[in-house]
Amino acid sequence: MSALNIDLEELAAVVRLLKEADFSEFRYTKGDVSLVVRRGELPAESSGGEAAATAAPTPPPAPTIVARTTAPKPSAPAPRASESESIPRGPSSTVHAPLLGSFYATPKPGEPPFVRLGDRVEADTVVCIIEVMKLMNSVVAGVAGIVIAVHASDGDLVEHGQALFTIQPVEPL
Amino acid sequence: MSARRIFVANRGEIAVRVIDACQRLGIETVLGVSAADKQTLGAMRATRAVTLGGARSTESYLNQPAIVHAAMSTGCAAVHPGYGFLSERADFARLCEENGLIFIGATPEQLETLGDKLSARAFAQSVGVPVSPGGPTKTLDEAKALAIEVGYPLLVKAAFGGGGRGMKLVERADDLNEAWSVASSEAASSFGDGTVFLERFVRAAKHIEVQILGDRHGGCLQLGERECSLQFRYQKILEEAPSSSLNAADREKLHSYALRIANGLKYQGLGTVEFLYDVAKRDIWFLEVNPRVQVEHPVTEAVTGVDLVREQILVAFGEPLRLAQSDIRLEGHAVELRLTAQNPANGLKPSPGRLTKWRPSPIGGVRWDSHMYEGYLFPPYYDALMAKIIAFGQNRETALLRAGQAVDRLEVAGPITNATLLKQLLATQAVIENSVTTQWLEEQFARGALP
Repeated sequence: MSALNIDLEELAAVVRLLKEADFSEFRYTKGDVSLVVRRGELPAESSGGEAAATAAPTPPPAPTIVARTTAPKPSAPAPRASESESIPRGPSSTVHAPLLGSFYATPKPGEPPFVRLGDRVEADTVVCIIEVMKLMNSVVAGVAGIVIAVHASDGDLVEHGQALFTIQPVEPL
Repeated sequence: MSARRIFVANRGEIAVRVIDACQRLGIETVLGVSAADKQTLGAMRATRAVTLGGARSTESYLNQPAIVHAAMSTGCAAVHPGYGFLSERADFARLCEENGLIFIGATPEQLETLGDKLSARAFAQSVGVPVSPGGPTKTLDEAKALAIEVGYPLLVKAAFGGGGRGMKLVERADDLNEAWSVASSEAASSFGDGTVFLERFVRAAKHIEVQILGDRHGGCLQLGERECSLQFRYQKILEEAPSSSLNAADREKLHSYALRIANGLKYQGLGTVEFLYDVAKRDIWFLEVNPRVQVEHPVTEAVTGVDLVREQILVAFGEPLRLAQSDIRLEGHAVELRLTAQNPANGLKPSPGRLTKWRPSPIGGVRWDSHMYEGYLFPPYYDALMAKIIAFGQNRETALLRAGQAVDRLEVAGPITNATLLKQLLATQAVIENSVTTQWLEEQFARGALP
């Protein structure tokens, strides 16, 4: 099962439409996915929880998106690539640790990380290193897209199969 | 003791057994599991579980770099290898040592000596322990000469390389030529050495083994013997302590042989010295040493009252033995049955699957060493052991009776188990009077007398 069971293309379209519309709250439910988009202050009854964590409490009003699925929620995507060239394509993809080892986000200590949140990657882009007994194993993105979440920190012990990154696929360059 | 955390590099019931022993010592545990074993009882009982790799053992339970890396990253001071998997691997013991981890087992040197059949036999002989007649032969002429000494029937097998691979039974001198030549060329192509080992084949032998325990300061103990003659293709099914086949003189002889080996090696940790015992001729022959905790260790625990895994952990951390030989006193009799997910009606074929019912019988004097629980998905990747049912009684009769009741009242559904075979065995005269030898069960199957 993919990490995020929601069609982001649909989501983006909904948000774009709502931007222009006059509304304070929009609720949408389909299957086990429920979507709540609000403008302005959060109503008191839904304080706390995941909504509060991502909400901007003060105006200017910006849509706050809370997507509830069985998978982790995405960080607000901030693609550096222009919108036209990174049309979201289908559900997001998770990069799993192919083996147990220590996670390294940078090629060498002190160097910038292989990828940052919001970076554009290709299928063969190296996203991190997993070291096991001093043997370095490069891990590639496996899909072209935008890095929308990083789940491990430098030096962490990551287990076989553990989620490392979430990538929002886009058309390859 | 400074160890606060131990890495458990195994699965199944023995992982649970080691975790229990650690908990009683106040030691935290990290269990390395395969991707197929995340929902095991061991994973739930351990302080923490980490996924080492895929379901295949080579990617997980035999994956030395992943295990050592995981043990170090999680702050473990030692690694317990259980039995099977990496428990007898000198290279793994060495890798642990090189990375500052205590390997809970014998030293790499001891594992090397004992891991090779020729060097283990040579060592036994060097300390005056009799080995079965036989030896390595490089040419057919050598083999012919040795065969006259050894006598028929005899076994020919590759001298190097393990398992029962290429083992052939030779009944008559006329058949030696061909069997030896085939074994030699197989050995040469498989193991790069055409040396062939000749050994007398004892048809009516009992399998009797002695538990040993040694510390790092030269202290060694023997904790009595176990008999495991009831086997199916070298897989033990019923084990007991003490053996009812030995007279006092032979028992003493057997124990002293085991101690000679333990002392000669300055053996460290838990080990089992295995012997073949020819009841008719009263011959005792050294077979091999298993340098690890043995599956059937609970029968020894039942009659000695010693927690062997606890002692094994303590000596690995350098503690001197807390027991003297005179402290080891045997009481009563214990029988262990191996309940497996194997179908007796189908040649003991493995039968994995979802365990929909698991109700071990609550009977006094019976211990269940098991990793089963209702809803557990018994995976097809590993061995078929579901539980060890260990029954204790003041005498053998009582222990067998309790073992029988425990199997009768077990409620299990899902995988097909060997419970029906265990019940049949306990009702068989040869088992009741303990006249079985290591080939007995296979002969019963071949004749159609069982199951």
